[in-house]
Amino acid sequence: MIEVKEKPNTEKEIINVMNPLVKKWFFSRFKEFSLPQLYGIMEVHSRSNVLISAPTGATKTLTAFLSILNEFVDSAEKGILEDKIYCVYISPLKALNYDIEVNLNEPLKQIEEIAGKKFGIKVAVRTGDTTQSERSNMLKKPPHILITTPESLAILLSTIKFRELLRNIDWCIVDEIHALADNKRGVHLSLSMERLQRISQHICRVGLSATISPLEDVAKFLVGFENEKPRDCKIVNVQFIKKMDLKVLSPVPDLISTTHEDMQNAMYNLIDKLIQDHKTTLIFTNTRAATERVVDHLKESFPKNYSENIGAHHGSLSKTHRHDVENKLREGKLKVVVSSTSLELGIDIGYIDLVILLGSPKSVARALQRCGRSGHKLHDISKGRIIVLNRDDLVECAVLLKSAIEEKIDKIHIPKNCLDVLAQQIYGIAIAEKIHINELFSLIKNSYCFNDLKRADFREVIDYLCGRYTSLEDRHIYAKIWHDEETGMIGRRGKLARVTYMTNIGTIPDETFIVVKVGEQTIGKIDEAFLEKMKKGDVFVLGGSIYEFLYSKGMVAYVSSSVNRPPTIPSWVSESLPLSFDLALEIGRFRGYMEEKFLKKQNKEEIMKFINEYLYVDNNAANAIFSYFQEQYFYAEIPSIKKLLIESYSDDKIKYCVFHSLYGRRVNDVLSRAIAFAISRVQHRDVEIGISDNGFYIASEKGINSVKALKILKSDKLELVLNMAIDKTEVLKRRFRHCATRALMILRNYGGRKMGVGRQQVSSMILMSAVKRISTNFSILKEARREVLEDLMDIENAKLVLKQIEDKKIKIKQITTNIPSPFALNLVMQGHLDVMRMEDKMEFLRRMHQMTLAKIGLKHKME
Amino acid sequence: MESNLEIVDLGLLIKDKGILIFSDFHIGYEEALNKKGVLVPRFQFKGIIKRLTKIFLRLKKDKVKLKIIIINGDIKHEFGAISDQEWRETLKLLDFLAKHCKEIVLVKGNHDTILGPIAKKKKVSVVDYYFAEDVLITHGNKIPEKEIMKKAKIIIIGHEHPAVSLREDVRTEKFKCFLKGKWKNKKLIVMPSFCLATEGTDILRDRILSPFLKQKLNEFKVLIVADKIYDFGKVKNLL
Repeated sequence: MIEVKEKPNTEKEIINVMNPLVKKWFFSRFKEFSLPQLYGIMEVHSRSNVLISAPTGATKTLTAFLSILNEFVDSAEKGILEDKIYCVYISPLKALNYDIEVNLNEPLKQIEEIAGKKFGIKVAVRTGDTTQSERSNMLKKPPHILITTPESLAILLSTIKFRELLRNIDWCIVDEIHALADNKRGVHLSLSMERLQRISQHICRVGLSATISPLEDVAKFLVGFENEKPRDCKIVNVQFIKKMDLKVLSPVPDLISTTHEDMQNAMYNLIDKLIQDHKTTLIFTNTRAATERVVDHLKESFPKNYSENIGAHHGSLSKTHRHDVENKLREGKLKVVVSSTSLELGIDIGYIDLVILLGSPKSVARALQRCGRSGHKLHDISKGRIIVLNRDDLVECAVLLKSAIEEKIDKIHIPKNCLDVLAQQIYGIAIAEKIHINELFSLIKNSYCFNDLKRADFREVIDYLCGRYTSLEDRHIYAKIWHDEETGMIGRRGKLARVTYMTNIGTIPDETFIVVKVGEQTIGKIDEAFLEKMKKGDVFVLGGSIYEFLYSKGMVAYVSSSVNRPPTIPSWVSESLPLSFDLALEIGRFRGYMEEKFLKKQNKEEIMKFINEYLYVDNNAANAIFSYFQEQYFYAEIPSIKKLLIESYSDDKIKYCVFHSLYGRRVNDVLSRAIAFAISRVQHRDVEIGISDNGFYIASEKGINSVKALKILKSDKLELVLNMAIDKTEVLKRRFRHCATRALMILRNYGGRKMGVGRQQVSSMILMSAVKRISTNFSILKEARREVLEDLMDIENAKLVLKQIEDKKIKIKQITTNIPSPFALNLVMQGHLDVMRMEDKMEFLRRMHQMTLAKIGLKHKME
Repeated sequence: MESNLEIVDLGLLIKDKGILIFSDFHIGYEEALNKKGVLVPRFQFKGIIKRLTKIFLRLKKDKVKLKIIIINGDIKHEFGAISDQEWRETLKLLDFLAKHCKEIVLVKGNHDTILGPIAKKKKVSVVDYYFAEDVLITHGNKIPEKEIMKKAKIIIIGHEHPAVSLREDVRTEKFKCFLKGKWKNKKLIVMPSFCLATEGTDILRDRILSPFLKQKLNEFKVLIVADKIYDFGKVKNLL
């Protein structure tokens, strides 16, 4: 049973089970047990599965380790501490492992000092960086606590000798589980934990998480299933024990008529002031590129304030650089550090008294995690300031703040039935042992992420791994495993199986940077994901300069530097983070309340009072929000959670249809593509779509009846429509590459060589077309589509929205405007564009041919 | 002579001679990818036979009597060790082609360094280049000696795998194409590859390989091969 632990244990209960030495050590360091410790220590002690959710600095890690250290010291004193691994500690970060080792070895040393003797309790780190000699040492003298990453754990489980050391483990601790549960690394880990449990049947699982929701699902993810029922797990929820001081700030009083340049200046002045008013500040941007930009800009604009005392910290920087920044932070040598996501996780970074978020963090949980990095100690207050740059951002962050204060955390999405990860893990299992197919299936189904896996899908993955998609005579090249239909047994194939597996394991796709060029001159690099959002003519910032995007080819983006327009793609307004669905609904609800007020003809004072009370914002912000809604109300109409507003207007030749569907980009991606697909099926022409968190638009030269298209769409047919609609998109191609590498259909490391990303992409295109010829339902292709629809986009909630439209719970309202309404403006300007390819390749060719002929004809006439 | 040439899908027909030219099949392309760690199943061969069958049916309908089929280089992909399977497919392709002509001529390409069992095949001869009167058929990876070039009025090459990408807004599609232009006062025709794994080199953007094409291509004509042949005028119209 999954149950929330309602009452903490008493201090006395805990002291009763503590070894006197450990007790003496603990109280020499701490005054009392923290709340997470009061809740958690006894659970770990009695080997009950437990998920502990608490903010950073809430001593989660020590909670998990205290009982374990206690037992080690106890056993060591009695002379019964064996030379074996008792505890496997898994963390998503390599740097963190180092951190933990220090935090574990320190207390051990101190306890030994108190005891006046050594206990020989060993802690060892095993990651991809561990040297060969360290590895063989571990085999000779196994550590009592093994610290590792999800990827290394999977490798250890397939290594003959090491596998023996993983039998009869007592504890498995998963730290930072919130950073794993919502992605394929977590899916991968969930299977590794089942593989571990297969050889260590009585293992106790301990999960440590920052603020996250829903806790029950995360608990199930942690413990998995047994005999088709979730294993028992206690939930310790102490998420809100830390005091928060959060505010939304606008650099200028008027967010609408300030120029881009003035806004930038005002923003940097504000940032500088905040930094100077505090001791140490941590700034979060939403992208790595923005991180660099902020550092450069601060150094340039305030050379007196920032030189050696500012640092950047993000995933593309070298390990040494990052360690350097972390050390300087701990030593208090930095005044400010700018990070993207890399400092969200619990690396100890010393004293931070202010966190600044540039742009909306897009989810309540992320806002809390980021702001929680300040005031690292439990009783400190976390101070966070969110700087907004436009009115949508303002409304969004104000509502976000309300949810944070009222403890409404958005739900995460845990990917399920990922066939690529499954293929990789089955291969790993087959390398470790021969196993019966039925036993394998039930092992897999014990994972929360595969609990409802269909036998047919499982069979397809087995068939893929057996190379059954190729002719019999070729199969030896493609088969990774053998499966004897008669005996039902499965095992590995090929002498190189182990090497192939070890060198290609993992779920994180190779980072792809797109080189940006003006002509033949390289000017920098941008993220692949950033490129995916750009259309011809878009203006963006790179390295402090403005460029216009022309076109991309393979891994190169060609741009022009002769451009004099402000950026059309905001550089740090959430390039990559989508707004969470739950938060989006909260904003929709607020819009509904606001509309009511206007409809009731309430005066400004009354409405301002409501905003102030409802949103916890200051007068300036309330004023800006009021006028934003007032403009929208008088010019057009206010959309809300119960009313989907569809606004049409024309701009020269192009007709726009704007859907004010405030459901977040992941849902809007689905809805817009489905509608565009329905429209273009009838009109037989590519239509342009632009997607943002607040809605989407569909544009076309001909008049289009989008409302009709929306009404044709039915929630139960949505998946079918979307599968067709995404078939030719760039994003599917890229995701197929990721899936093919995870499923080891493309080996990134092979024959001693490493394949570049560009090469991978070209190969995956050939692979995709070959696979389509075999079956459009080939398991890895199917997985790529699932990943796009369920993980990247959010088809589940999109269905929910459509269902509510069908049930008339959301009503549709159509209006026509001359110029876009205030709410539509940002949406149209920021909408990330895609084109629905409705014409098939031949139709496209014929039309392009006609166009070229016309062009040539015209030229002849002119001459 | 030029009016005597006709594009038939990915092939080029010299009508009065009954000669049909293909180029760059690159059999074994999948295997080369396999060796690099990309487990692409074999799919090309089936596709090649299907497409060839269509071509032969059409020629039959047009009452064209084929005498010679010329493969203008790179029938197979691999330079190094070649597997049995790759040989099998290559020989199978030659057998298939042999059914539709009296003689097969293999013009050597840069990938055809090892000829193995092909050399022993009946009806198949291997040459460095081939003349059909004043039409020179050569692979195109290098320019033959002056003496040879002197005799040519029309040059037909492969090697480059020419293709063009057409773009409109963010949509891009790539198509195989023939290129028609000049090389030092002589007519030059560049044939697309019969390799079905990729469309080929985007001549508008990619790096050009053949020494015949190390020149401004703006005045070259682009003929896209699809369900029929689409004349897109000159390269400069597409830039």
